[in-house]
Amino acid sequence: MDHRMGNVSRMTVNERKFIETALLNDLRIDGRRPFDYRPLTIKLGREDGLSEVHLGQTHVMAYVTAQLSQPYRDRPNEGSFSVFSEFSPMADPLFEIGRPGESAIELGRVIDRGLRESKAIDVESLSVVPGKYVWAVRLDIHILDNGGNLIDAANIAALSALSTFRRPECTVSGDDGQEVTIHPPETREPLPLIIHHLPVAITFAFFNEGNISVIDPSNHEEIVSGGRMTVSINTNSEICAIQKAGGEGVMSGVVMQCMRIASMKAADITKEIKNYVEIFDNERTLRKVKRHSEVATLEVDVPDASMNETSQLHHITGLKNHTDLIPKSEPNTINQVFIGQASNWDPYSMKTSSHLSKHFVASPSTLSPSHVDRVVETISLPKLEKNQTEDSTMDNDGVISIAVETSSVTKTKNMLTLKDAVDKKRKMKKKMKMKNVK
Amino acid sequence: MTHELVMVEEGDDKRVDGRTPNQMRPLSCSRNVLHRAHGSARWSQGETSVLASVYGPKSGTRKGENPEKASIEVIWKPRTGQIGKTEKEYEMILKGTLQNIIILTENPNTTTSVTLQVMSDDGSLLSCGINAACAALLDAGVQLKQLAIAICCGLTNDGTVLLDPSKIEETKVRAFACFAITNSPLSALSEVTPGSDKGKSLENGIVTSITYGSMQESDFFHCLERGRAATSRISEFLRKNLKS
Repeated sequence: MDHRMGNVSRMTVNERKFIETALLNDLRIDGRRPFDYRPLTIKLGREDGLSEVHLGQTHVMAYVTAQLSQPYRDRPNEGSFSVFSEFSPMADPLFEIGRPGESAIELGRVIDRGLRESKAIDVESLSVVPGKYVWAVRLDIHILDNGGNLIDAANIAALSALSTFRRPECTVSGDDGQEVTIHPPETREPLPLIIHHLPVAITFAFFNEGNISVIDPSNHEEIVSGGRMTVSINTNSEICAIQKAGGEGVMSGVVMQCMRIASMKAADITKEIKNYVEIFDNERTLRKVKRHSEVATLEVDVPDASMNETSQLHHITGLKNHTDLIPKSEPNTINQVFIGQASNWDPYSMKTSSHLSKHFVASPSTLSPSHVDRVVETISLPKLEKNQTEDSTMDNDGVISIAVETSSVTKTKNMLTLKDAVDKKRKMKKKMKMKNVK
Repeated sequence: MTHELVMVEEGDDKRVDGRTPNQMRPLSCSRNVLHRAHGSARWSQGETSVLASVYGPKSGTRKGENPEKASIEVIWKPRTGQIGKTEKEYEMILKGTLQNIIILTENPNTTTSVTLQVMSDDGSLLSCGINAACAALLDAGVQLKQLAIAICCGLTNDGTVLLDPSKIEETKVRAFACFAITNSPLSALSEVTPGSDKGKSLENGIVTSITYGSMQESDFFHCLERGRAATSRISEFLRKNLKS
């Protein structure tokens, strides 16, 4: 098929000259300075292991999944980790479906090397039954929009997805220790991957026979550039991988300067990734807490208060441990059914004086397609779940032991302040310590 | 799984997530989300989300296709795993649907390529994909005869029709149907007399109908009727979205 109409990589001589001349004066066509990154946004979805990254106009999505499989014969104690990267035809008119082109393979390999060889992901913790069952982690990278510098964006997406991924917990049982039971996320909390460090990829483009280098090249700059180099570096300034495949020759002094700049940028990017992941983790804990309240009740007692889950994330995180104290042993008082309409929960108002836990109003009539951003399913689970305390999280333990205390406290107070929440946290910690000592 | 999922609570006629059988999940549509593509749209129904992009027209048709008409190329990309038969089936269904709404004689001997990426899947994936493709074509400015709006319906064991089923509901229903129904602006037909054939043929025709599982004939028509009502609502939403 003739691609003349969709062919953008042929730039006019004028455009080329303009970009090169501007760079001689330290100017880039989008107004950045030579060592400035484009604005970075990371969207971590509602699911674990899914991330979308916008780096300027570049848009990349990464998705992590894991399956039980047989290990490699020469490494029976290690899980496996594989990267699949595809340049989707939606990203660029030149990308075609079918066999991946050179740049697609290069991208996959650079990200893979950065993570695997540097032992960023702990693969030994992924083994379940050595020699028979190990977790095979699969990372899919989808390039959705090519705005230049795909390697960096894809790497950030990969790191965010891996940081938020949770694999199901499994136990080994049976006479010969060969039976593996995988626990669904409702019964046992899934576990995160053990990630030792985050290797961030920083790409430089070289112009004017290697004299000018810029960071994070955009699409047009990439086409005009004479050479490219990608450095995978982590916050400890350890170089995990370097990729400079062909292109113009660059003086070693320039390369060293680029690496110094890269280590500074890596620190910034790692901090951003960690911020986004932390926000995601907090939201996730909130959602997990809601699920526990569903499990606790089967009889429905519709209260009058309703909950605002979307706002005030800050003070909710402070209350995190506190709100986990939803008494499981009081099944008759918590409402199970809820619809995720943005509702109003103010724990410090008179309304919730009877209960510090969350109440939800089942109001299907008010649910309209244009307003609700989340609809959550209610699943009625048998009460057997409560008995699985063997590997239960601290929350469960905390709940069962302090249930009585919470209810007595809540009945007395009407006006509550942040201090009360903090105090409860301290009390809970003390109780936990005492319990562990016993 | 060690626990049972309750589909519809007894005596309450509500589904697992609290919706009534006739209630759809919240819809959202964003257009022009990609910079390189000529047209793009992201369509979400609840947690299901599909991103569609349109490039075209590129010169030349694929081998064996009619050079007197434009040809449509559809690529369906799943989130993980290799492209298998399910994806090929979706591509085929989409191609058939889009061929009926695009004016093919406008750019003969060209290829318009539509790529769909599954962003998240919580049931009703095919209908979400068709809607996303439609919105992306609108964003690209491809000339369309009419809009094709899709809806998925599930049929439970006791004969209830569930609109826009979620993934859990899809595994539990007895049968499952997906309809793509055309929708034309009634205002454009106001000059046409009600009795004329031209007016009738453009209104509410079924472009695509896919069913899985067995259902009675009456149930099928029941689903279809519900589907029609739902698609008129969805197209209202889409048109309102386009104006903004």
